[in-house]
Amino acid sequence: MDSSLTWTQPGPWPMALADVSLDGLDERALVEACLAGRRDAFDLIVERHRRAVYQLCYRFVANHEDASDLAQDVFVRAYRGLRKFRGHSSLRTWLYRIGVNVCLNRMALRKPPTEPIANRQFVDLEGETGPDRLLKAERQARVRAAIAQLPRKQRATLILRMYHEMSHQEIADALGSSVGAVKANFFHALGNLRKLLGDEGA
Amino acid sequence: MHLTLDEFVDAVEGTRSDASLPHLADCEACRRELARLRAAMTSAAEEADVPEPSPLFWEHLSAQVGERIDAEPDRRWWLSWTRPAVLVPLSALAILVLVVALAPDWRGASGRSEPGTHPVLPQATINPASATDPTGDATDVAADPLLALVSDLSANMDLDGASAAGLADPDSAERAVTHMNSDELLALKQLLQTELARPGA
Repeated sequence: MDSSLTWTQPGPWPMALADVSLDGLDERALVEACLAGRRDAFDLIVERHRRAVYQLCYRFVANHEDASDLAQDVFVRAYRGLRKFRGHSSLRTWLYRIGVNVCLNRMALRKPPTEPIANRQFVDLEGETGPDRLLKAERQARVRAAIAQLPRKQRATLILRMYHEMSHQEIADALGSSVGAVKANFFHALGNLRKLLGDEGA
Repeated sequence: MHLTLDEFVDAVEGTRSDASLPHLADCEACRRELARLRAAMTSAAEEADVPEPSPLFWEHLSAQVGERIDAEPDRRWWLSWTRPAVLVPLSALAILVLVVALAPDWRGASGRSEPGTHPVLPQATINPASATDPTGDATDVAADPLLALVSDLSANMDLDGASAAGLADPDSAERAVTHMNSDELLALKQLLQTELARPGA
């Protein structure tokens, strides 16, 4: 990669690199290219992060249609605010932060519907017998419903920690809080989850 | 003393072993609480799978995002107006316009007009010879007090920032007046007179 493509040297995209392949660029260089007017750079950012962003949204709303809409919102907002991305955190953490805000705002407007078990035609449960599949699906639905009832910060913390393997510091960055607050939210989220699931679930 | 919140979280996540927390051996309540937290974590882990969408979904998602971005108005040009290099000279220009519109001394040598009457304004004198001059150089700006004042005020205005921003050349406001042809000067003068004739001006 050309040495001029550094994060600390924003400016016009070098004309000699106007047609350079974006595939080998890291995320910071991709952001720079996008800010310099290369829309295909943002397409590549979407391609790299769309699965993680969709999964994050799905965990908040628990249905495909809303998760798809929210994932689009996340990327559109990211595009609008790309100039604000300073590279202090990873692009993934930054996108997660936008995603959490988008999802929590949506959920504040309406109670999230959970997808009926019968509609989950895309769940890959191959290799499991009929009764096992049904039992697992029921357990998952019960846990998902319990997570949906957690307070906002606790829910976001649990989702990011459990399913997206983010560190406490990354979650603190994403939620705009401290590591101590993240640990407290995680502790209370597990405690409340246990209460919501009852003894049989936990 | 019972385990702290941090110690519980570290123990649940496995970053601290139970052996490193000797209090657990002596406290039934903390052992029970830790067991509950671990059970909740195990239950949450069962929900780890997100249903996999159709393989075609991902391209569809990218396409939808692309369409929405293409439909977005280009905000970059708007953002460029908020830069100080543009905002400062534009503000100066706005102040100049206000001064031109509100200055009481422009109401003529007779001073304030009587209530309910329009002020008497000097009429612009257009040199007939300049009417046919495409350069407008023949126009006597200095002879007209209104145009002369605009020219004087704009002469010292700092438009370097505007020049740097590509909006205007240095001294462009002054040249805009001194290089106007007769029709443009007449139009400008009529605008100024209209502003000054307003009752609130």
